[in-house]
Amino acid sequence: MRLPRAVFAAAWMGWQREMTWTNPALSLFIKTVAPTATVLTAAAVYWFGSSAAGIFTAERLAYIVVGASLYAQVGAYAYVPTAAIAEGKWSNLYQQVYITPTSSIPYVAGRCLASFADSAPVVVISLGVAFYASQALFGANPSLQVSAESIAMVAVALVVSLPAALGLGYVLGAYSIFVSRFEWALPSYVSGLLMIFSEALFPASVLPYPFSLIAQALPFTYLMRAARAALIYDSWKVYLTSMFYLIIGGLIFLTLGILVFVQAEHSARAKGVLDRKVM
Amino acid sequence: MYSRAWVRVRSTFGEPAWLAVNLSVPLLSSLAMALLYGSVGLSKYTGFAILGGIMLAFWGNVLWSMASQFNWDKEEGIFEIYLVSPAPITAILVGMSLGGILATLPSATLVAVIGWLFFSTSINPSWPSVILTFVLTLASLYAMGMLLSSLYLAYGREAESLNNAIGEPINLLSGLYFPSIGFGSPFPFTIQFIASLIPLTIGMDALRKSVFYASGVGSVWFDLVTLAVMAVVLLYLGDKALTALENRGRRQGTLVVRLR
Repeated sequence: MRLPRAVFAAAWMGWQREMTWTNPALSLFIKTVAPTATVLTAAAVYWFGSSAAGIFTAERLAYIVVGASLYAQVGAYAYVPTAAIAEGKWSNLYQQVYITPTSSIPYVAGRCLASFADSAPVVVISLGVAFYASQALFGANPSLQVSAESIAMVAVALVVSLPAALGLGYVLGAYSIFVSRFEWALPSYVSGLLMIFSEALFPASVLPYPFSLIAQALPFTYLMRAARAALIYDSWKVYLTSMFYLIIGGLIFLTLGILVFVQAEHSARAKGVLDRKVM
Repeated sequence: MYSRAWVRVRSTFGEPAWLAVNLSVPLLSSLAMALLYGSVGLSKYTGFAILGGIMLAFWGNVLWSMASQFNWDKEEGIFEIYLVSPAPITAILVGMSLGGILATLPSATLVAVIGWLFFSTSINPSWPSVILTFVLTLASLYAMGMLLSSLYLAYGREAESLNNAIGEPINLLSGLYFPSIGFGSPFPFTIQFIASLIPLTIGMDALRKSVFYASGVGSVWFDLVTLAVMAVVLLYLGDKALTALENRGRRQGTLVVRLR
């Protein structure tokens, strides 16, 4: 029972940090504004260019809206370990976590779960707002197949993407243990690179070789594909294939992430950097 | 003014890692938008995305290193030193702006160079118009930063969340990557009017015309006058807001409160 309790405690702490610094409804609103604007920016870029060239299609608009909305979830994971560990080192929280019997692995897992919980509604809201705003602004209906079945399929895909998110969390957590300045630099790059490499806005085939291979190797790419298969193409075959790769990729990511994190913790302890600060 | 500008320039150029930090968001965002244009066969518009990335570097600097700065200075106990020094606060803000512009120039230049190398973007500039528009856009943008820094002084930890919340909507409304006002805008008139109140919107529109369509000063004069007026008005409002909030802070004793 110790492990689930530690994960739950960390998740609760993450939720409190992200959502209860002000009224939770206001907090959710503030968290939703930026991702929704990002989705609309991507949609507007497509609308502007394709309308000028006379090649606008509602299906492509839906492709962009779904991917950019899900990116809110994927991009959010990049910042969790920094908030949990680098920021925790400054506030003396991480040192307390480290000396607990369960150590910091369930702590990072809990913080990732909290990020999942608070960014999932953001995805739903930004997708909904972008859908209606596209009608109002561009006069175009993104061709989405919204049904109980397609929504359940996306929800399952999001849950199945958790191991990949945890893997990313552990790798970035390993970085956060050592870094004492510019803590937000790497997460910014990772988040930005995920926008390019996870098929959030365009297919991986657009990227020049060998960059396209990186996109094919990322589990988040298959999350995007699974969600689009459910919401746009109504294709069980693409959905199940993407889910298969998402599960395999996620497990590989998670295993590698834990190995890197454990190694980083040992190394940090030996070097005495677990509570290092720069004043 | 010189002292504050020097601190900012020295802190950035003395620590090259800052360049990498400042580069991430504008570079990767503009590459993503340029690839989005390219993915639907609209490579001729990739230049819009790169120009957006260049200006995003400055807008990010305004948001994170101008608007939030006094709030952070207050938390670290530096703001009270500004107050007791004989230097006018407005001069400190102007110095911070000039230093911020100089410190952001390398990352903005790198976005331009990398974008050009990746996409071989073709431009057709009218250089006098480009330079004048660029200078006036930065002047009005940093004047807005001064006004925001005054307002953010009234907030505590909320300032960071406010920054996170307003950054992207302003990117959208100001048309960093596509025209948000005038011909080609996807927005109805009301939203275009609201967007026009943001200096970045006017600046981006004029810059696109000057950089890609060789519009001279004569063609973008109205945008230039608007930007100049905005710079003066925002500077005046920033000064007034700062004085008012400083006086309120003195009365309520909140100017040296660090963490609430």
